[in-house]
Amino acid sequence: MIRRMLVLLMIVAIVLGITSPLLGQEQVTLILIGPWSGKEMEAFLPVIEEFEKMHPNINVEYRIMRTEDVAKVLPAQFEAGITFADVIFMAWPWFVAEKAKEGHLLDITDIISPEDFWPREFIDVVTIDGKIYASPYAAWVKPGFWYRKSLFEKYGLKVPTNYEEFKELLTKLKEILGSKKAIASGDTVGWPLSDVTEHFLIYFGGKELWKDIRAGKVDWTKDERIRKAFTELTELLKAGYFSDPADWTIRLTEWWEGEYGVYFMGNWIIGMVEDPGDLGLFPLPGIKGVVIGSDWVFIPKYTKHPEEAKLLVKFLASPKGQVIYCNNSGKIPTNIRLKPEEMASFVKEQVEALKGLAALGDLDDTLGGKFQLTFWDQLKRLWVHPEELEDVLAKIQEAYVETLAAKG
Amino acid sequence: MGIKWLVIKNLIFFLLPALILITVFLIYPVIHVIYLSFIDRKGNFVGFENYIRTIFRSDVLDLIRLGRFFTKPPPYGAFIHNLLWILIHLPLTVFLGLLLAVILRNVRGASIVKATIFLGMIVPMVVSGIVIHFTFEEETGVVNVLLRLIGITPKSWLAYPETALYTLILGSVWLWTGFSMIVYSAGLESIPRELYEAAEIDGATVLHKFLFITIPLLKPVTITVVTMTVLWELKMFDYVFTSTRGGPGGATNVMALQIYHDYFVFGEPDLASALASILTLITLGIALVALRPVLRVRTARR
Repeated sequence: MIRRMLVLLMIVAIVLGITSPLLGQEQVTLILIGPWSGKEMEAFLPVIEEFEKMHPNINVEYRIMRTEDVAKVLPAQFEAGITFADVIFMAWPWFVAEKAKEGHLLDITDIISPEDFWPREFIDVVTIDGKIYASPYAAWVKPGFWYRKSLFEKYGLKVPTNYEEFKELLTKLKEILGSKKAIASGDTVGWPLSDVTEHFLIYFGGKELWKDIRAGKVDWTKDERIRKAFTELTELLKAGYFSDPADWTIRLTEWWEGEYGVYFMGNWIIGMVEDPGDLGLFPLPGIKGVVIGSDWVFIPKYTKHPEEAKLLVKFLASPKGQVIYCNNSGKIPTNIRLKPEEMASFVKEQVEALKGLAALGDLDDTLGGKFQLTFWDQLKRLWVHPEELEDVLAKIQEAYVETLAAKG
Repeated sequence: MGIKWLVIKNLIFFLLPALILITVFLIYPVIHVIYLSFIDRKGNFVGFENYIRTIFRSDVLDLIRLGRFFTKPPPYGAFIHNLLWILIHLPLTVFLGLLLAVILRNVRGASIVKATIFLGMIVPMVVSGIVIHFTFEEETGVVNVLLRLIGITPKSWLAYPETALYTLILGSVWLWTGFSMIVYSAGLESIPRELYEAAEIDGATVLHKFLFITIPLLKPVTITVVTMTVLWELKMFDYVFTSTRGGPGGATNVMALQIYHDYFVFGEPDLASALASILTLITLGIALVALRPVLRVRTARR
């Protein structure tokens, strides 16, 4: 009996000895916060599945949280030395940089090669004292006005080649659509209106204006370039070409159903419409730059699984980590090592169209703070009361000065 | 001595848990907010400077715009918007609540109607804000569908500064009418029927009975309803936040939302604390003044 027991114990010891390296691979669950829900989330989840296949010992739990909400909750968590997630996506690089400066983020310089990324500025904005703290994951671009090719073909409309033709197109659309408007205006917290306004600012002020605004060198009430952009925009508003602002997803459906002629939106709508092949796009003719943004992925210093979190971020930064999502969502990969033949046609077309255009960071996302909120809110007011332009610009200037002063 | 000590011991035993909770979660935060309102961001004592700065800014009190009240639409500043809320919302909800309570008294099936009206109170304010946002939307909103039927051109009522605030106020009437209706209904049950019977013998009409019996005897209830309604209107936040976020152009901004923006978005804890202290002082003052007669009656009864 004793001999049998000893043999059994030896067998158990041998089995444990063989399997111990496997048992040593402890199962880890990473909490990943991202802003995508609905179809955007459906486009992203296969990326996680791919990562989990590569790392069977890591589970990734995806949770939805908008950038605005992350920005409200995270500061208090960081002050307490805790975090609600191991890896977080965020659309505001200024916030990421701020938290990195305060020492709350993990340095990921060892897993990111800056030369692999485009635009390079996306890495620069989250680099503090030579250390990289986040990686841009798939770029969204706000390239111009989207239209349905079928609608344009039906009414013999052509893509404008200069600003006068753009205005003529709006007049024709107004006639065709009757009581409906030529341009659909989306709304949420306010970014759809600031997007189209930024497009006009770039068109009339170029990238130099962008640099000057970000450097705090302009006066919104006096700068000639800003005034020109806003004057043209308000003329279009007064002429009744723009619809009232309403929830941007509702407007997307209405525009797709033919209630509006064109819609200024980012490339994320590619993944949201029934037939991306029917989508056409034109920027304001002759524009020299477009607003490009991304979702930056970073690791809070307080994560309990820093090594696993780094593996995930490294994967997301890689071509393999981006191609699935970009082909599903229509966004552009930020990793330039991704081969064109791996991209879906509508992604490749965008990459081609962007060549020669300056990639500019989103204005309100970059400045943030009071400016962002005021810019959004005052544009909502301008949309329905274009005659109040002077007061709107004065309010924006006031917030601009305060925001820059707060940033020091 | 023994009994007295026992009483004290029991008092401590029963009161201490509640006292600890109140101190940690109510008294300390209030005191800390008041402390923050008197210092700048570097921690220096600045007296009433934060109070002056927070009140006299256009986001809170736009005196120039207010001077053109009849020619210019909002924004007039968060403080004025709260006052407008009280001026319009308070009489409407109190009157409607009373009216419904009287009409639905002793009516068969009234409980179903009351429960339906009371739904506005049950629905979380966050949800109500979203519901209102879509209710008044140009294309999909039910209000515009109805207006279209009577030939009125639909519009996004919350997108225009001249209509946004008043739309929100009117929209919130259904949220709160349920409260006043239920409280008044309970109050009506406490009025002795003999009073009405005696009045009828004396030849009193329905209106006479309502004016000289119902309304005077409902005075304590009215005080409670008015106080609670005013406090609700002053503390308004989630409903506005989810429906308009204070826009367009600050036209629907209210004090609580301004405090939130100051603290969490603009990073100005000094201004936020000063405004929060002012709001607390106002609500506390109103609560004390309004409830004094009720408290006095109770003291006299004892």
